[in-house]
Amino acid sequence: MSSPQPSPPQQGTSGKAKFNVYTIEECPACGQKTKRAFQVGDYITKDGANCSKCGNATKITLIYAEPVVKAK
Amino acid sequence: MPALTNMSLQFGNNVSSLLNIVWLLSFFVFIVYGQRIQVYIVGNDISRALNKLKLMKDRSRKEAVDYFNGTGKASGDPTTRIDEFLEYVTIMPVDLDPQGIVGKIEHITETRDERVRSEVRKMLPSAEPIKVSVAENILEIASSLNMIHKIVRHYYLLGKKTNSYILLVQLQMIMPQVLMEADALINAVDTFKLGQPVGDGIGPIIASKYMLTAPKQVVAKDTVMTVSEYKGRTLYVLKAEGPMGYVGEPGVAIQRVIEEMNVPLNAIIMVDAALKLEGEKTGDVAEGIGAAIGGIGTDKFRIEEVSSKHKVPVYAILVKQSILEAITVMRKEITDASDRVHTLIGNLIEEKTKEGDKVLLAGIGNTLGVGQ
Ligand SMILES: [Zn+2]
Repeated sequence: MSSPQPSPPQQGTSGKAKFNVYTIEECPACGQKTKRAFQVGDYITKDGANCSKCGNATKITLIYAEPVVKAK
Repeated sequence: MPALTNMSLQFGNNVSSLLNIVWLLSFFVFIVYGQRIQVYIVGNDISRALNKLKLMKDRSRKEAVDYFNGTGKASGDPTTRIDEFLEYVTIMPVDLDPQGIVGKIEHITETRDERVRSEVRKMLPSAEPIKVSVAENILEIASSLNMIHKIVRHYYLLGKKTNSYILLVQLQMIMPQVLMEADALINAVDTFKLGQPVGDGIGPIIASKYMLTAPKQVVAKDTVMTVSEYKGRTLYVLKAEGPMGYVGEPGVAIQRVIEEMNVPLNAIIMVDAALKLEGEKTGDVAEGIGAAIGGIGTDKFRIEEVSSKHKVPVYAILVKQSILEAITVMRKEITDASDRVHTLIGNLIEEKTKEGDKVLLAGIGNTLGVGQ
C-alpha cells in the first residue's frame, strides 16, 4: 500500500474490540493499490477513483477490518 | 480468684456449645433446604443472563425500526409491522414419513423468504435492492434474538415454577454459549447496516475475481453465473447476486447447469467459510471433498443429489472463522487467505481436470458488499 493512510473514523465493532474498516482500490493497468477508509456505499468490484499513478479507472478489490492499534 | 476462673471457664463453654448448635443447625438447613438455596443461586445467575439477552433483543428491534424509518421514509409507522414480524413462525413439515421432506422444507422456506421480501419491499417502496436486502437481514437477526430470549425465558420460568434444579442447571451450563451467539448476532447489525462484507462473504469474494469481465446471467433466484476460459478449461463461476445481502440458491443453480443446460461438468469446486474449532486460527484454509454449504440443508441436498447422479466430483475449500467473525465485518486475517485459496483452486483445476473439461466454481456465502 503506497498511498498515505488517513486515520479513518472508528467503524464497526465486534465484541469488545474496535475495528477500522478499509477499502482497497486497485488499478488494473499498473497494479497500484490504494488503501482508504471505508465509506458507506463501497462494495467489492465497484469502480473507484482514478489511479494516482497512471490515471486509469480503479476498482475496489477488497474491504476488510483491522483492529484499532492503541497509541502508547 | 477461683470464682473468676470458674466464670471464664463457663463463658468458654457457652461459646463452644453455641457454635455447636449453629453448626448443627446449618447442617440441618443445608440438608433440608440445600437444593432450594442452589436453585436460588443458579436462578439468579440465569436471570442476569436473561436480562442481557433482553437488552440485546430490544436493541436489535430498535435498530430494525430505525433502519426502516431512516431508509424508506416508510408509509406510516413500521413498528407494529416489525413487531408482528418478530413473532413470525415457520412451521416445519412433519417428519414421521421423511421421504421427500427436503422438497417440503425447501418449499416452506422459499415461501417464507418470498413473503418477508415482499413485505419489506412494501414497507420500503422506494429503496434500492441492497437496502431491502439489508432490512431483510436485520429483521432476521432481530427475530432470532427475539426467539432466543423467549426460549431461555421459557425454561427459566419453568425451572423456577417447578423448582427444578436439574432444569436450571442445564440452562446455566449452556448460557455462556447462548450469550456468545446472541452477542455475535447483535454485533452483526452494525456491519449489515453499513453494507460491509461479512466473514461469510469470503466465498463470493473469491468467486467474484473470476467473474469481473465476463457477462453475467441469472441461473437461479438471486444467483448469477459467468462462463469464461481458464487454462484451457471452460469455467462456470457462480455466486449470489451482490452487493446485496443475498445467499442465493446455489443448489438450484448447480442442478440447472447440469440438468437443464446439459453441461457435462467434470468437477465442482465449492469455496465457503467454515466454523473453526476453538484453538484453530482464523483464516486457516482446509481442503476437502463434499458439498461445502451450510444453511438448513436443502441446497446441500440438491448438490449431493445431482453430483452423485451424474458422478461429478465435488471438491471443497474452507476458510476457518468463528461464528462472530462469520457474521460481522470481514477481518484482514480472512482476506489474507485469498491468495492461498486461489492457488488451491488453480492446483485443483490443473490436477483433477484436463484441457477441454468443464469446471464449476461456486462461491458460497452471504454476498453483502461483494459485487461481481
Ligand atoms: Zn494505475
